[in-house]
Amino acid sequence: MSKLELDDLRTYYRMEEGWIEAADGVSLSLEANETLGLVGESGSGKSTVAKSIIRLLPDNGEIVDGSIRFDGEDITELSKRELRRRIRWKEISMIPQSAMNGFDPVYTVGEQIVQAIRTHESDVSKAEARERTKELFDDLGLDEERVDDYPHQFSGGMAQRAMIALALAVDPSVILADEPTTALDVVIQDRILGTIKEMQDELGTAMVLITHDMSVVSETCDTIAVMYGGRVVERADAETIIKRPKHPYTLGLRNAFPDITADSQELVSIPGSPPDLLEPGEGCRFAPRCPFAEDRCWEETPQPETHGDGHVVECHRADEAEYLRKEANRPETWRTDD
Amino acid sequence: MGLREYVVRRIFQLVITYWAFITLLFVLFRAAPGDPTSMFVMDGMDEESRQEIIADLGLDQPLYLQYVDYMGQLLSGSFGVSFRYREPVWDVLVIKFWNTIFLMGAAVICAYVIGVLAGALLGWWRGKRAERVGIVAGLMARSSPEFWTSIIVLSVFAFWLGWLPSGGMRSIGAEMAPSFSARYLSTDFVYHLVLPVMAATIYYMATPLLLMRNTMLDVLKADFIEIKKAEGLSELTILYKHAARNSILPVVTMAAIVTGTAMGGSLVIETVFNWPGMGREMVEAINYNDYPMAMGAFFLMGSVVIIMNFVADLLYVYLDPRVEYK
Amino acid sequence: MSRETQGIDSMASDDGATERIRALAVRTWRTFVDVFEGDRMGQIGLALLLIFALMGMFGPWITPHDPTEINRDDDGSALRLEAPSTDHYFGTTNMGRDVFSQVIVGARASLIVGTIAALIAVTIGTNIGLISAYYGGWTEDVLMRITDIAYALPFLPFVIVLVFLLGPSIWSIIIVIALLLWRSTARVVRSQVLSHKERPYVESARAVGASDLRIMYLHILPNVLPLAFLYAAFSVAWAVIAEANVSFLGFGDPTMISWGQMLFEAYTADAIRFAWWWVVPPGVSIMLLVMAAFFIGRTLERVTNPELRHAE
Repeated sequence: MSKLELDDLRTYYRMEEGWIEAADGVSLSLEANETLGLVGESGSGKSTVAKSIIRLLPDNGEIVDGSIRFDGEDITELSKRELRRRIRWKEISMIPQSAMNGFDPVYTVGEQIVQAIRTHESDVSKAEARERTKELFDDLGLDEERVDDYPHQFSGGMAQRAMIALALAVDPSVILADEPTTALDVVIQDRILGTIKEMQDELGTAMVLITHDMSVVSETCDTIAVMYGGRVVERADAETIIKRPKHPYTLGLRNAFPDITADSQELVSIPGSPPDLLEPGEGCRFAPRCPFAEDRCWEETPQPETHGDGHVVECHRADEAEYLRKEANRPETWRTDD
Repeated sequence: MGLREYVVRRIFQLVITYWAFITLLFVLFRAAPGDPTSMFVMDGMDEESRQEIIADLGLDQPLYLQYVDYMGQLLSGSFGVSFRYREPVWDVLVIKFWNTIFLMGAAVICAYVIGVLAGALLGWWRGKRAERVGIVAGLMARSSPEFWTSIIVLSVFAFWLGWLPSGGMRSIGAEMAPSFSARYLSTDFVYHLVLPVMAATIYYMATPLLLMRNTMLDVLKADFIEIKKAEGLSELTILYKHAARNSILPVVTMAAIVTGTAMGGSLVIETVFNWPGMGREMVEAINYNDYPMAMGAFFLMGSVVIIMNFVADLLYVYLDPRVEYK
Repeated sequence: MSRETQGIDSMASDDGATERIRALAVRTWRTFVDVFEGDRMGQIGLALLLIFALMGMFGPWITPHDPTEINRDDDGSALRLEAPSTDHYFGTTNMGRDVFSQVIVGARASLIVGTIAALIAVTIGTNIGLISAYYGGWTEDVLMRITDIAYALPFLPFVIVLVFLLGPSIWSIIIVIALLLWRSTARVVRSQVLSHKERPYVESARAVGASDLRIMYLHILPNVLPLAFLYAAFSVAWAVIAEANVSFLGFGDPTMISWGQMLFEAYTADAIRFAWWWVVPPGVSIMLLVMAAFFIGRTLERVTNPELRHAE
């Protein structure tokens, strides 16, 4: 049994004009101690998936179908109160994009971590919780004394470490990390990712790493799921996704980042813009931007199909992957005529 | 700039403001066009006593000497003698000052507690029907001048229901207690306090209420609120310990302004409820041409506002760890 | 990017500036229409204001009775404190005067004080805010200290003392209210100008050699005008309340009927115990007029703060 399993999750946002299908039939699974990379452009639905898991959707957002199983139990069925007491932070915690804004500015970082510990472990005294916070700080390479500092007294990288301390405070089994290093510069980015990885191995925590950055996932993740237009278009183990992707979108994404493939010198981005998810109807959502789109791509929505060992692809032309890969490496393929 | 330096600088500003305020008072009451006695002296005063008063007040002196004299008097705590009571202004005002402070202080505190808590709730309820109702109620309260809320409250609770007294500070026949604490801690006093405080609270509550709601809307959008929710904290903790606590800064700075309004409001509320305070005294002093009294009351009211401004600034620094001492 | 964050980009030539201002006027007008269209409260505010404006303008011609006339019944005795009837919709005062007519005529005092005092106050406040933020240094220090001092003065006592010194006329009430009311506009305009001062469009205007006055009034001012309008609406509300307070305390213009004064008379005649018809109409009128101003202000807030516009 997987630690966390999403089955055909559909999360929509209600608008005046209709429903926005932000996550439309997402299926994923996460084993204990596994790191899953969730990759896609902004608006691809990756954050919606994370927010659905911990149920922090905006007022107009709604999980309309599908299930989210945590240790086999469907947590979409839980009441808010139960979710709060049993799941949130205790089992599933999160690391936000900007740690600086993730802390309440008017309390010290230590106070906030102590509060999180004592919310979930009521028998822990303030002093004990404080001791634990100091230990966490120490483990994460932060000076223990800094528990008494306010968030604004931390640098970006330090704040992110403190945020990881907060995320690990009550020893959750899953961490949702939403672009945890995007706001930082590259050197610090690497160090933070290293720290996360280390802590994760030590504590046996599973993680969903959400990012738009292919290079980040390639280094950190065991499996990768690529999202486009609210759907998981391709998922497989990291090596397969990096070396032998089948979906044209993944191919395009790979071209847009430097250090993954040596084949292409030029960085090529995918022309066009993300799809409008307001009741999009039938057809592959990537078709308008896909250089390989055929007639049926516009008419039928491709369904997930398994190609070999756990490699799931949603593309009508997945069988021609060899050819697509070769074509995709040529920058001209991605150039639009106009 | 360090905290100490900031406080020193702020104290310096306080002194400047105070000096300007006192000078303005002097200009208002002494250098106003025309002979002050023609405006201020009481009816039926003969020429001799008029001259006497002019000499008494030092009004025959050159203006700058009058000014020096006036500053000296104020610094030694003397406001002169009331025309109406023929007693030192200070002796009359000191009791009325506390009567006003208890009334308006209670009102401002009630207004702030209710306004902040309810305003936070309105922000939390954004988009709901209850929020709309709350906003309209807040705007209604803010649109009703103190005398109008006073009249409504008086009509309902004193005249119609008969639950509370319609005015005054103690029941007829009740002796004025000799000690300060006995005077203000008696149930009779509180009984008389309820209605005017209620009337004032309704009006002053609106400002913190609406401001609190507005800042809450901004704070609720902040990332940390989402994290606090994800942490599994209870809604009450997030609402009051985090969201409201972060929204309170602008509301605190408004406190000085609300106090200023309340000082002015005391004129109206004390008049409606026959409350023997500084505000009603000021209105009467002007009607009786008792200008030392009017000036004394104005001086005290201004002092309260200036000091509240100062306190609010210091409180701001205390409440926001991020503040830069500019 | 919205206009508020970008500023209106500059063109140095004269034609450029007038062109730009015309375009801005058109755009501002559209935004106003747009914002009021989507806001029920703002529409109610405008409707109420229109009704009161008509009352203020045509009051003396539409009243059923002369508001100062002592009404008498058939045998010639004055109709004192009559309850509402078909002849006197809101009854009569203790002097036998028609309350309904007084309420209609009373709109004028509130409207005159409200609009003129607010206009003066916002003009002063905008200029002080603009000048102090633009020049900075000691100019700013002096102007902001003056603003602090204005904040140190308790509003109503100051107004009453000055009205007493200047004599109780509607003009002295207006001047005295405006004399303190500018302070809030000055503070908010200053902080907004501070943020505009550093923006590229000001830099480039300076680079092409535009004079300070030109930059202040042709480049920056148009950007802070929506905020000034917002504070104008609030100032109207505060001025109406101030006038009502002054009149209620008996320092109003004796030659004019105003709502505050009506309540003053009802209060001194000890009529609030029973003559509700004499008390409720002027009180509710004050409240509705002030509410109209606040409702309009709330709607204008969406012009100055586009985020509110999308959020609600």
